[in-house]
Formats: sequence, C-alpha cells, structure tokens
Amino acid sequence: MSFLQDIPILTFILLSPLLGLAVILLLPGQRAAWIKRTAILATLIPLALSFWLYADYDRAKGGEGYDEAAEWLTIPINNDTNDTVEMLFSFQYALGVDGLSLPLLLLTSIVTAMAAWAAWHVKKRWKAFFGWFMLLELGMLGVFLARDLFLFFIFFEITLVATYFLIGVWGYYNRERAANRFLIYNGIGSAIMLVAFVLLVNTAGFRIEEAAGGHQYIYSGSYADIGANMANPQAFVHLPPEATGGVNPFQMSEGMHWTLFILLLVAFGIKLPVFPFHTWMLKVHQEAPPSVVMIHSGILLKMGAYGLIRFGLFLFPEQAREGATMLAVLGVVNLLYGAILAFRQTEFKLVLAYSSISHMGIVLIGLASFNEIGLQGAVFQLVSHGLISALLFLIVGSLYERTGTTELPRLGGLARSMPFMSGVLLVAGMASLGLPGLSGFVGEFLSLLGLFETKRWLTAAAALGIVLTAVYVLRSVLGITFGPQREEHTALRDARFVEALPMIVLLAFILLLGCFPSALTDTVQMSVGGWMEQLLSSRSGG
Amino acid sequence: MDMFAKIAWVIPLLPLASFLILTALGRSYRTAGVWIGSIGSLGAFVMSLLVLLERLKPNPVDYSNGFDWITIGDYTLTIGYEVTNLTSLMLVIVTLVGFLVNVYSAGYMKEDERITVFYGYVSLFTFSMLGLVLSDNLLSFYLFWELVGVCSFLLIGFWYARPAAKAAAKKAFIVTRIGDAGLFLAILLLFWYMPEHALGFTMIESVFDNQGGTITEGITTLIALLIFLGAVGKSGQFPLHVWLPDAMEGPTPISALIHAATMVAAGVFLVARTFDIFEASEAAMQTVAYVGAFTAIFAATIALAQNDLKRVLAYSTVSQLGYMMLALGLGSLAGGIFHLFTHAFFKALLFLAAGSVIHAAHTQDVREMGGLGSRMKTTAWTFAIGALALSGIPPLSGFWSKDLILAVALEENLLLFAVALAAAFCTALYMTRLFVLVFLGKPKQAEERTAGAKESPAVMTIPLIVLAALAVAAGFVETPWNGWFGHWLTDGAGEAHGSAIAIVCSVAVGVLGVLAGWAIWGRERGAGEAAATLAGRAPGLVRLAERKYYIDEAYEAVFVRGLRGIGAVLEAFDRYVVGGAVKLAGLAANAAGRLALRLQNGQVQTYSLAAVLGIIVIVLAVIGRRMLS
Repeated sequence: MSFLQDIPILTFILLSPLLGLAVILLLPGQRAAWIKRTAILATLIPLALSFWLYADYDRAKGGEGYDEAAEWLTIPINNDTNDTVEMLFSFQYALGVDGLSLPLLLLTSIVTAMAAWAAWHVKKRWKAFFGWFMLLELGMLGVFLARDLFLFFIFFEITLVATYFLIGVWGYYNRERAANRFLIYNGIGSAIMLVAFVLLVNTAGFRIEEAAGGHQYIYSGSYADIGANMANPQAFVHLPPEATGGVNPFQMSEGMHWTLFILLLVAFGIKLPVFPFHTWMLKVHQEAPPSVVMIHSGILLKMGAYGLIRFGLFLFPEQAREGATMLAVLGVVNLLYGAILAFRQTEFKLVLAYSSISHMGIVLIGLASFNEIGLQGAVFQLVSHGLISALLFLIVGSLYERTGTTELPRLGGLARSMPFMSGVLLVAGMASLGLPGLSGFVGEFLSLLGLFETKRWLTAAAALGIVLTAVYVLRSVLGITFGPQREEHTALRDARFVEALPMIVLLAFILLLGCFPSALTDTVQMSVGGWMEQLLSSRSGG
Repeated sequence: MDMFAKIAWVIPLLPLASFLILTALGRSYRTAGVWIGSIGSLGAFVMSLLVLLERLKPNPVDYSNGFDWITIGDYTLTIGYEVTNLTSLMLVIVTLVGFLVNVYSAGYMKEDERITVFYGYVSLFTFSMLGLVLSDNLLSFYLFWELVGVCSFLLIGFWYARPAAKAAAKKAFIVTRIGDAGLFLAILLLFWYMPEHALGFTMIESVFDNQGGTITEGITTLIALLIFLGAVGKSGQFPLHVWLPDAMEGPTPISALIHAATMVAAGVFLVARTFDIFEASEAAMQTVAYVGAFTAIFAATIALAQNDLKRVLAYSTVSQLGYMMLALGLGSLAGGIFHLFTHAFFKALLFLAAGSVIHAAHTQDVREMGGLGSRMKTTAWTFAIGALALSGIPPLSGFWSKDLILAVALEENLLLFAVALAAAFCTALYMTRLFVLVFLGKPKQAEERTAGAKESPAVMTIPLIVLAALAVAAGFVETPWNGWFGHWLTDGAGEAHGSAIAIVCSVAVGVLGVLAGWAIWGRERGAGEAAATLAGRAPGLVRLAERKYYIDEAYEAVFVRGLRGIGAVLEAFDRYVVGGAVKLAGLAANAAGRLALRLQNGQVQTYSLAAVLGIIVIVLAVIGRRMLS
C-alpha cells in the first residue's frame, strides 16, 4: 500500500478545479491578473497530483488500490413477479484509473495547465471565462476517472456545456455559429451515447447481492459489473437456483451486441471525429479562442477515442474484431482524406483541423490492428497528438496576436523577426509529420506496425500518408516562417518569456516521449495485455 | 582489447553535445560556435580513427550492444550500436570530412550572422550520420536516417529567406520521404517475417545468408526493392534524383559534407548493410545494377550541359553514386564501398574548392568565370587533382575504384560495362570543361566582379590540401594486384579483380575524355563559342540535357498538379456533399429545437424537471424490460 492509496487521491484530483473555481468566484471581476494567477495555480494542483499518481502507479499491478466507490443514490424498482428478490437501481460515485485512463489523465492536466497559462489572450469577462475553464477541467478529469456509465455521462456533458460557452462567448468573429454547430453535433452524439448506456445498464449492468431478506438484483452503470458480465456471460448459471430463479438473468443477443457496438461507434466516432462526421470541428478549430482549441484538439477529441476503446473495444471485442476491416478502412480514409484536404487549405487553423482528422485516422488504424502493438500505438498517438496539437495551437495564438491573421498567403518570412517561435513551430511540425526522436513517430510507427500483421495493403496505403503529411506540414510551416520577410512584419517581436515557457514545457514532453517511449508504453501495457488475453480466451472459448 | 569499439557509442555523442551547447548559447557567441563545433567533430574523428586502427589488427571481432527501447508484450524494439569493419570505415570518412568542413566553414561562413546556428546544424547532422552508421538494427538505423534527412533539409534551407532555398529544402525532404516510406514498409515486412521479429543486421545476415530461411523469394525481393527505394531517395538515384541538384541552394561547405561525401552515401551504405537480402534475390540485384548504371550515364550527360559550377558537381555526384549502386548490384560489395571511400575525398575536395572559387568570384555561373587559375593557385591545383581523380586518371584514387567497378562489370555484364565506360568518358569530358572554363583563359564577362578574386585564407585552403593528398593516395589500399581492402572489408570473401582489358579501357576513356574536353573547350578558350558549336550540331540533344530531360517538369505536371487536382475534387466533396448533409442534419435539429423551445424558458426548475424526467425514463426502461422478460 502506498501513501496515495490510503487517501482518496482520485477525488482530490477530480475536485481540485473546484477549489480554483471557488476562489475565482470570490475575487472581484475586474482583477484580471488575480483571476488569471488563481486559474494557473489551480491547474497546477491536479497537474502535480496526477504526476505523483503516475509515478506511484505500479505498472505490474495496474490500478488496483486506487479505486474509490460510494453509493450515491438507489431507486427501488417495483417488482410483482418475485417476492424474495428486491430490485434496485443504483447510481454510484466510482472512480478509478488503469493503464488506459492514467496517461490521458496526465495529458489532461498538462494541456489544461498550459492552456490556462496561455490564456492571456482573453480580453473580457475574465471571471466567467476562468470559471467555465475550471468547470471544463473538472469535466475532463471526471471523464477519465469515472468508473460508472452515468458518472461518465455527466462529466462528458459538463465538458460540452463548458466548451459551448467558452467558444460562443470568447471565440472569434463567427463564434456563435461555431458554438451552435458544436453543440448540435455533440448533442446528437451524446443522445446516441445515452441510448447505448441505458441499454447497457439494462443488460450487462446487472449483479446479484446477498441481502438480509434474500437477494438483491441491482442494476448499475458500474464498469466492473458490465465488464465482467460482457467477458463472462455465463457467470450467473452457476449460482444456486434460489438466487436466479433458475434462469440466466443476463442474456444479450447477437443483434443487441451489434446494436450497442454500432451505437457506441457512432457516438464516439462523431467526437473523434471519424469521416464523414468531421465538419463540425472545422469551425470550432477556426473560431474558438486559442487556449480552448488547445484543449479541444488536445483533449476533447481524445475523449471520443477513449470511449471507443473503453466501451467499444473492451466490451465488444468480438464485434470490433469482425468490424476491424471497416475500422481500418475508416482509419486510412481519415488519414489520407485529412492529409489531402490539409494540403488544400489556405487558412493555417484549417490546415491543423484537417491535420487532426488525419492523425485521428492513425488512432483508428492502431485500434483496427487488433494486437497489442497496434493498440499501444493508438494510445500513444492519442497522447502524442494531444501534446503536439496543443503546442501548435499555442503558437497559432501567439502568431495571431502579432500578425492579426492566420491566412497563409498573408504570412511568410517570420523566421527573421521571430526565430524562436518559428523554430518551435518547425519542431512541432516535424513532430506532427512523424520525425523520429519526437513523439509523433512512435504512435505512427506502432499503429502501422500493428496493422501490418493482418492488413498489408491497407498499411501500404497508409504509408502514403507518411509522404502526404510531410507535404502539407512543410507547405504550411515553411509558408509561414521561410521566404522573404514581409514589410508589415518587420517590427514583430519574438515570444516573451511567459509565452515561451508553455511552449518549452510541451516541447519537452514531446521530446521525452519520442526518445523514451517506454515511459508511456509500460504504463499502458497492463490494460492492453489484459484485453488481449480476454480476447484470446473468448476466441478459444467460443 | 577492443576497448575503443566498446566505447564507440561516445563518438556520436560528442557532436550532439556540441549541438546542445550551441543551441543553448544562442547566436551571439560567434567565435565560440566555431570552436565548439570543430572540437566536437575533431574528438569524434580521433575516436573513430582509434576504432578503425583497432579493426586493422588481424581477426577483429564485431562488437555490439544496445538497450530495449519499447517492450510490448512479447515484442521488443531495441536501439543499439555495432562496430564492424564497414562501420568503422564509415565512421572515419564521416568524421574526417566533417572535421575538415568545420574548419573550412570558419572561413567560408565568417560573414554570416547565423554562423552559430550553422555550426549547430552541422553538429546535429554529424551526430545523426554517426548514429546511422553505428546502428545495429534497421529500426535505429531508420530513426537516424530520418534525422539525417531533417538536418539536410535544415541546411539546404539555411538561407531561408531565399525562395529558391525554401523550395529546394521542401523538395529534398518530400522526395526523400517517398523513399523513406519504402524503407518504412520494408521494416514492417521484416518485423513480421523475421524469426523472433528481429531487425538486427547480424540476424538479417544469418537468415538471408541461408536463402532467407522460411521467407519466400517473392517476399525477399519485395523487401529488397523497398529498401532499395529508400536508398534511391537518399542517394539521389533515378527517378528520385531531382532533389539533389536543387540542394545546392545550401551553403557550399554543406554541399561538400552532405550532398557529396556523407549523407548521400547513406543509401549506398544501407544497401551494403543489408546486402544479404539483396544477394538472396536475383531480381533485386538486377534492379540495383540497372538503376545504378542508368543513373550513372543519365546524370553524366546532364552534367555536360549545366552552367552552374555546383550543379555540374551535383550531377556528377548523382552519376558517381550510380557507379556505387552498379557495383553493389553486380555483387561487388567491396567495389561499391571502395568507390564510396575514394569519392568521399575527391568530391568533398571538388566542392570545397568550388566554394573557394565562389567565395572569391561571387558567382556560380561558369560562363562568367575564367582565368582564375593564376590568381588562386592552391584552389586551382587542388581542384585539378580532384578533377583528375574523378575522371579516373591513374594513379589517383578515383582510377583504382572506378577500375574495380569496371572490371567487375566486364566479368558480369557487357552491356553494363559499356554503359559504365560511356559514363566514364562523359565524366572526364565535363570535368575538363569545368576546369578549363573556370581556371584557364582570360577573365570574361562580369569582369568587375571576378576581377577582385584572390586566394582564400589558409583556414579554407588547408582542408583542400589535406583532401587533395587523400584524393591522390586513398586508392592504393586496393589495386588490381592487391585486394587488401576488399579482403578486409568482406572478411576474406572479396578478391582482387585484375583485368588488363578493364585497365586499358578505363585509362583510355579517361584520357580520351580529357583530350576531347581540351579539344572542344580548351582551344577556343571561350565557353560561349564552344557551346554554340555544340548546340549548332545537335541543338535538340543539348537543350534536352540542359533542361535535365524535363524530368522536373514532368513530375510537376503529373504529381504536383495531380495532387492539387485530387485535393480540389475532395475539397468540393467535403464542402458540398459532406457539408450539405450536415446542413440537412442542422435543419432537422433546428426543427426539433423549435418544438422543444417551449421547455427552454431559462428557468432552473424546468431544466431540473427535464433531468428528473430523464431519470424516470431510464428507470421505466429498466422496469419495462423486467416485466417483458
């Protein structure tokens, strides 16, 4: 038992943004500097705690020992058929971490802290901005910490609402349209997710407990129950007849399996986003304020992939395996489609938006490979892209502040007046195109390596993406930094220290992961390996 | 024993340290930059030399070591280094040329305000190249291979404000990336086909030595060809040669270091390092040989018609790399590497001498030069030595290595022998042309610019003299009578290819080429007239060579325009088809929203009512299901 397992560390991490929120609400609204400092300090708490947790986490044992659970609310269900059994509907507050969520938790706290630091561009209503900002962090941390479907759903919706206001109020010119489109699309995704969750709770969320007067039938959204039932649907058969009434209470038809899998795929596919559900996020990238895009592109998109893995792949491995070819095709389409369209854009923010689509294609490719290497690659790509896109949008914010534009034809030659920022932009671009030594390469390499085991031709097509990515990255990055200096840009100043600091921090993580990927892969390994074992046993068993 | 091999991992770290220090210092420490960069590369050179000397003892044992980079379940990816005869030789070539270029640049780049950045990039490049050379498996090889590509990109685009430099840097990166994608796929194939997923060179050697073990011939050929695609990109072979001549936009010392002596040799080195895979596939060997031979003659004819001093040398590099590939494709590992070895010295020499000329004359156009020999004696003499070595005139180093390749070709394939001879003739011809136009005759046009030309400072000429000495002497390690080099390199497998016919032919075409060049350009002492006569006789041909056979234009038309076209189609699709569907969904959502508008009155009570209703729906669903079942 480590010290962290004695204290409710996950709750501390989850609720720490609320501390910041409370202080911010108490501060007078005009004290911008104070509000901002509070916000930065508040993001440092979950950052420090999650680092501590990451270091404390035992890679051989996984996340056991950190779990926190409490009954939140139980609703008795009317039951006419069986008097000896009490039926309950249970909502619980359950938190936990494993090799899949821990890296994303750390990513969230890093990117959020850097985004708070970079939020000096906010020029109005600081109190409200940072209030929503804190709430957004709470939601994101909760999504990765939750161990109950309804808890997950609530945190997921918190992020939607917070993001909606952050885009709609503090965004650029067309902010309201972007915010609305964001809400409509994500609302549809949430609705589908909710349907899937309700169905899941109704079927796999079932467990039997011994109680004073007989047995309790409990329905809940607990990951543990759902996971156990999905992995071993025959568990109840071995219980004594008086507990189950002689029939297996958990049955899920083949059709229901597929329905749920497809619902989850669509719900989280919109978030990821998977072609053709991607158009909503273009406007968001273009109109949202820089620090919010850092979070949006860096973390919020990853929630889609997280849900896809956690619920789609882990609960429905058989369906996912049968649908693997479709996933791989979608991944390759995302990769190439995003890359070619990124090549066409004349607005740098849209280049990055399509680039995100392209890079999420690599995540899909990793997932579709159905082996440990590919899944590791997908998770690596999530973390890596989170850091890289946060860094890129950080630079975009600073650039826009100086030049007033992100239109490529109006930019050029900035390396002369801003050597530091141009250098960072170039390195970020290199990370994005998968230069070894930087994090982007590892995710890309592992994903393609994984897919290659079974799908040679699709991997070969994906390798085309290696070239296309280089084409669009160099086109846009060199378009901004290389070439003759423009007259209107001669007086521009390079990054100040406060601006440079988050860039250096993000760059350091990108380098660290690129050079020592095992710092991440070893943490993920437990979860991925366990899933593989389950998949193999279910294959051999049935 | 083998003490230096064991600490060989330190060698790349020295220039890496230089790079890190230079980056941390920033650009204000100009002199310090020169010193830090030079000391790092000197240290690496001294250590490499010690490693090589150790390898010269009888029966050296290969040494390798490494660490696990990523472990996933039962799969392990490692990064490690290995010292063999081939790698120790490459270490010395890279560090020696690297060190001399460092010294030379102290003079050449003196006036540049970003000289510290320049030294930083050169140090990073040296680190990457040394890492590549030392790698013990294909994955770590690939990591450094890509880093080398980026350094090349950075240095080609060093003068980033020039549009031409920007375009050239971009082109170099993207064109070589096409080859990299091939190498990438080859690694994936090897990973899944090799026993125990091993990617180590030693393992590859033992598996493919044994006819590929369980790997079928088709797959072997595929792997070899994909690896070769990577080599074609990096070593500027046809059809991916287009980036190399444009790379001359970088500072001239870089052209010497990267685009002549070391990085472009990485492709040849890659084929040599995975030679057993190629040997296991006849088709792959044939491909390598024919691509090499075609590139040799193809680039040589282009070099004849170019007027930019550095471009002539660049096409000459492409052509000579073709020779190396030809040798490898014909099964002569020693021949390919021997030519790589001699070529590194005389081509670095030629580029640095050209840099000295450009530094003095402030132009790269040979038509504007002339008569510089009398004013730049050291440069002229050393350039002459380099040119004669490249032309294959005995007893200079280029003669011996080219002769070895010709002798092998004569044994194996008469057609390729003829092509190689023709390319050798062209080589002597264009080098003579270059020397005559630059150094002989009277100063021509643009007199006011070249008039002030005088010899470069000692810091630039001393590296020239050192390289000239090597260009003269380096060939004696392998002669038709004494196959010591091949024997050492291939562990006794190689043997001397003494062939009187090859020697006679080789000397004859070399001398004929020089004489013909003298006859055309030397007598008239005027480029314009000579070009005019040539163009008058065969205007179409000259124009074709001058325009580089319109390959760039063809690529532009097919690939660049093609990609733009596909992009335009997809963009329209994204906007109208996908976007249109979104609009429809938006309209539907709006309609639904209007229905729900009455609920949205902004009162918290209503919202909580909705939430409670939602929960009730869930609970009802649960109950309903129970009742149904």
